[in-house]
Amino acid sequence: MATKRTMTFNLTDPEMTALEELASKKDLSKTAVLRQALRLYQMVDLRLERGEKLVFEDKGEKKAELVVL
Amino acid sequence: MSQSTVNILRRADDQEVVATLRDGIKPEDLAAIEREWGPYRAKIKQELVRLGIDKRTWPQSLHWDWSKKGPELKLLESSGFIIEFEGATQGIMLTKTASYVSRLEGGKPLVYIDYLESAPWNWNVQELQRKGEFRGVGSVLFYVAVLQSEQEGFRGRVGLHALPQAESFYAGKECRMTKLGLDANKQNLPYYELSRKEAQEHLSDGGEK
Repeated sequence: MATKRTMTFNLTDPEMTALEELASKKDLSKTAVLRQALRLYQMVDLRLERGEKLVFEDKGEKKAELVVL
Repeated sequence: MSQSTVNILRRADDQEVVATLRDGIKPEDLAAIEREWGPYRAKIKQELVRLGIDKRTWPQSLHWDWSKKGPELKLLESSGFIIEFEGATQGIMLTKTASYVSRLEGGKPLVYIDYLESAPWNWNVQELQRKGEFRGVGSVLFYVAVLQSEQEGFRGRVGLHALPQAESFYAGKECRMTKLGLDANKQNLPYYELSRKEAQEHLSDGGEK
């Protein structure tokens, strides 16, 4: 396992609420949710850099391209 | 990078040997593994061709090339594990932690086994009447994935797409995974998952069969 470093993280009430809801829904600790978010963000960013597209598809197969900043 | 010890079984004398499990594998390690394994793959392929064996029965990972899988390891979500014994790489596994979520348990996170392979000299190739040198490499690596899932806070959940020749291994008593059908988005390969409950059973008996 890689060495871990600590940082302080300040969130607004709505951000903290969202984090707590996600943690509960995904059966994860808040730290694990943030770690997952970072992994996803990095993965999406790298794939977009390679020229790939991020697309969401609903059940009716309607597709919407998502722009990630 | 860290390392620990694991047991694998040597077929020649049916004895367990203590091997080394290493994590933190880097792209350059994959290139080295391919240099180590490539000639054995080539030899097996040569023999299959020489005997005119039907391609449909060839080992389904025969065409894999680990040197091409290096870029995957640059992602935060990716991890690589290898088992070494007497200076040789006996098996390797690459996992991902963010690209896939559980289908059995409502989108909860899991460890996805992207690739898992035993060294070519460990393969049983029935058509060549060839038995592998070491047994249990796949089981140990699978157990490592369940353990990784537990350590990540994913409750041991694991998912993977299986090569058809490996289905009996993943569905059988060694892994006890649940088949969730064929995946049209992944070359129509069967998708398997280990639920939280099955994972806890797997962990409590130490991956023993």
